[in-house]
Amino acid sequence: MSIREKVDEYKKILDIFPNDQEKYQYLIEKAKENNSFPPELRLDNFKVNGCQSQVWLVPEEKNEKLFFNSDSDALISKGLVTLIASIYSDEKAEDIVTSEIDLMEEFELGVILSPARRNGAYSMLKTIKEYAKNLIA
Amino acid sequence: MSKFSEIKKDFPIFERNINGNKLTYLDSGATSQKPNSVIDKMNDIYKFNNANVHRGTYVLSSETTQEYESVRNKLQSFLNASDSDEIIFTKGTTEALNFLANSIANKLMGEGDEIILSEIEHHANIIPWQMVAEKYKLNINYVKVNDDFSLDLDDLSSKLSSKTKVVSIVGESNLSGMLPDIKEINNLVRSNSDSLLIIDGAQLVPHRKVDVQDLGIDFLVFSGHKMLGPTGIGVVWGKKELLNSLDPVYGGGDMIEEVHYDKATWAPVPHKFEAGTPPYVEAIGLGAAVDYLGNLGMSEVEKHSDELREYGRKVLLDIDGVNVIHSEQDIAGCTFGMYVDGVHATDLSVMLDTHGVAVRAGHHCVQPFHRKLGIDATIRSTAYIYNDKEDIDTLKSAIISSVEMLR
Ligand SMILES: Cc1ncc(COP(=O)(O)O)c(C=O)c1O
Repeated sequence: MSIREKVDEYKKILDIFPNDQEKYQYLIEKAKENNSFPPELRLDNFKVNGCQSQVWLVPEEKNEKLFFNSDSDALISKGLVTLIASIYSDEKAEDIVTSEIDLMEEFELGVILSPARRNGAYSMLKTIKEYAKNLIA
Repeated sequence: MSKFSEIKKDFPIFERNINGNKLTYLDSGATSQKPNSVIDKMNDIYKFNNANVHRGTYVLSSETTQEYESVRNKLQSFLNASDSDEIIFTKGTTEALNFLANSIANKLMGEGDEIILSEIEHHANIIPWQMVAEKYKLNINYVKVNDDFSLDLDDLSSKLSSKTKVVSIVGESNLSGMLPDIKEINNLVRSNSDSLLIIDGAQLVPHRKVDVQDLGIDFLVFSGHKMLGPTGIGVVWGKKELLNSLDPVYGGGDMIEEVHYDKATWAPVPHKFEAGTPPYVEAIGLGAAVDYLGNLGMSEVEKHSDELREYGRKVLLDIDGVNVIHSEQDIAGCTFGMYVDGVHATDLSVMLDTHGVAVRAGHHCVQPFHRKLGIDATIRSTAYIYNDKEDIDTLKSAIISSVEMLR
């Protein structure tokens, strides 16, 4: 699935929920399902700047595609980073760099996905793009 | 009916609807909401009076200057200061403490001298001292906090000495609501040292009657925005002879008597400390806030705060699974730090937001104290004059349902 298709898929799911509370509940469930991040990788060099909760992001290159594994110490934030990581995983670096999709605009996720500089999700998106950009360069 | 029952009507923000709920604002420790009288006053200045202060010889400037200077008189009587020249305007508590740290260290301190703070200080009352300590080779000691969140005054006594030049202590804890016995601290400081005593009144002044002469302290600092006033304005109150003896930290227009190319002489206090165009509209807004609080009466404000605190103690202290950081002394502020084992504070505050409940999550700029308690982050509920028991009930039920979802 392309980045666009994945984003549309998630939008469809999130649209089912009538309010922020239920959207957050969905993210909490996503977070609880995500057990793939090894606790020993909660290292400072994988940490993404974020003020309110800690977020870790581990990128990996396999068969010319990028994969991201992520974690957070807060549940809602973990659900969100899990979702973002799955959107950009299994994609070519060029596709990530050229993708013009603005998740902040696409997803209406209230206070948790805002372009606040100190927001973990915001920094994570920036880190993913920078990582992809450096690979091409 | 109490003066407070209809008070939300004075605050237009409470007309807002948040996520389909009425707004339950419990973050006044971060900043207070503003009544119409403050908002209108500032609007009126911009619309009908605006002109720079102390500069023009025309009607507008003279009116604005009078309004601006009259706020000093309002604050003088609000604090029972002996002279309106003792009121210095700053940007807020943080700038006030930076100013005092720099001015005092520069003028009155030397290598090896000591500063005493406490373990529960806000970063605004730690970092400026750390910065000057580094520059002037000073030492900082921290008064211990007891398990009930009170200050260990024996520890303070043992740390005071002839080397102590500054004691700077919070007047009301922004996490536990603890109110230190300032008079007792003042006595200890006077009898064991020649130190100056500064009180960080950021949380104290909005909530309780403060009489600076009765307390006997040397300096009091606070922020306008936490007491119904606008952002960008704060106050240093200081004893006049001390203010006279200190040098300015900022230079510029409006703070000088005579300027030559090689030197300048300072204007008398308070103006020597107020370089450049002051935030005069904000100061006038603060004046309107002081009027509003004065009309309610600070003893009524205290009583209201005490009632909400008692109700908060009744309702919040025994929620299943919720740990509370709150002063165990009889009299305290209406401030409750809370954390739930296994639940991240930001998750909790995001879920509370879906109920229209606004609280702060994080370390509230008292990171060393959180570290000492062994917790990363808390949520904090701080109530003010416009809050009522229903708000505390809403908080409680929102916490219960949010924790259920997050477990
Ligand atoms: C106890 C205390 N001191 C200082 C400050 C800093 O105030 P301001 O940010 O208005 O400068 C605060 C505000 O959070 C506070 O609670």
